[in-house]
Amino acid sequence: MKNKNIRMNVNGEWHDLTVTLQDRLIDTLRDQLSLTGTKEGCGEGECGACTINVNGKAVLSCLMLSVQADGAQVQTIEGLQNRLDLHPLQTAFLSESAVQCGYCTPGMIMAGHALIKQNPNPDEAMVKKCLANNLCRCTGYEQPVKAVLKAAGEMRRQTR
Amino acid sequence: MPLQYKLEDYYRPESMKQAVELLSKFGKTAKVIAGGTDILPKRQQGAKFDTITHLIDVSNLELNYIKKNKDNICIGAATDINCLATAPVFHQNSYRALMEAAEAHSTNTIRNQATIGGNLCNASSCADLALPLLTLSASVVVTGPKGNCTMPLDTFFTGPNCTALLPGEILKKIIIPDYKENAGSSFIKLKHHQTCVDMAVVNVATQLWFNENRCKRAMIALGAVWPTSFLAKEAADILLGQTLSKKLIELAAKLAADSSAPINDNRATAAYRKEMVTVMVKNSLEKSWKRSGI
Repeated sequence: MKNKNIRMNVNGEWHDLTVTLQDRLIDTLRDQLSLTGTKEGCGEGECGACTINVNGKAVLSCLMLSVQADGAQVQTIEGLQNRLDLHPLQTAFLSESAVQCGYCTPGMIMAGHALIKQNPNPDEAMVKKCLANNLCRCTGYEQPVKAVLKAAGEMRRQTR
Repeated sequence: MPLQYKLEDYYRPESMKQAVELLSKFGKTAKVIAGGTDILPKRQQGAKFDTITHLIDVSNLELNYIKKNKDNICIGAATDINCLATAPVFHQNSYRALMEAAEAHSTNTIRNQATIGGNLCNASSCADLALPLLTLSASVVVTGPKGNCTMPLDTFFTGPNCTALLPGEILKKIIIPDYKENAGSSFIKLKHHQTCVDMAVVNVATQLWFNENRCKRAMIALGAVWPTSFLAKEAADILLGQTLSKKLIELAAKLAADSSAPINDNRATAAYRKEMVTVMVKNSLEKSWKRSGI
């Protein structure tokens, strides 16, 4: 199995890594960097559980080879928290009870994070469209939509 | 679990020349990768790309752009689909079908990765972006060992998942002619479960261009009802030179359905698809007509 050396910035820190050509980005994040917050659901781009941000955009880490991420800026759910302080999105998901089993949550939060970065004042329709790629089989969708809207409001208040 | 396939090497060339050399050297064992959203899931399911052992990544070739020139619009082959969905130029009525097709394509996250070139080169008969580009008479610029060549998009699709690209050739850009005033276009997609990840059961794009109140250009493109995306020329031609009426549009829609040859599969029956072509072409033509401002 052929190995390649890549360098990528994950959550603000540069890493020099040796990956195989078969490794998807989710494999490298979870198995090499122990960033197990990113979950694998379907592994073929249908469920959105593995959503992370690469170069500022929400992408699916199961549909990206690690070698494709050479030189990229990668952000995972672990990169949102500032030391002990939860990110407003994480706080909103807790206070809105938008988490039940939690498997889809990191993907939903990363999708919401990319949306708020792009548009700090999204309306409900935009949030629904943004989360349309993230399947949840227990909580449902109402609470996550409310949580993203609440977090967007909180983030606007913080930057004011 | 990492992917289970034999990949011998991966390259990310810095120049088009280098990319063409690599593609020529490895021939049929090489495949271009841009977003990877078609290649990677298929590789996991095995079979389809079993012969591919070399991937050529085109992300460093500066093929991610939308340029509005004096008499055309050029789109780089590696432009992601979300760029098309949000580019102001495609909000104009004449190009609206392209924006609608980009928005209807899968989900936000996949659209951030998937590219227009990938959607065309994968050459699925239900490819969303192929249809508006066909109605807009887009052409594609291909680079290969012998240099550049330009071909109309409707000669690019040669069969299901087959294109006119020869070994060593790479899709470089898509050129859309300029349609000024009095043109309108629209795209409609019917999905099985109506969830955003669904592929089209039937998709339709139309474009109409008027001179005063007579139709001087009419295009109807159909997807998922023939081995490739295609232009229903006979149906569109009956609109040419005419002042449009509801009756005429209904006739064109019926002719479009007659020219389709859908199959039965797990998404829909052939008869249902044919019926839907009539309804969707009618609705799309009416929308395009309205958008033309005539």
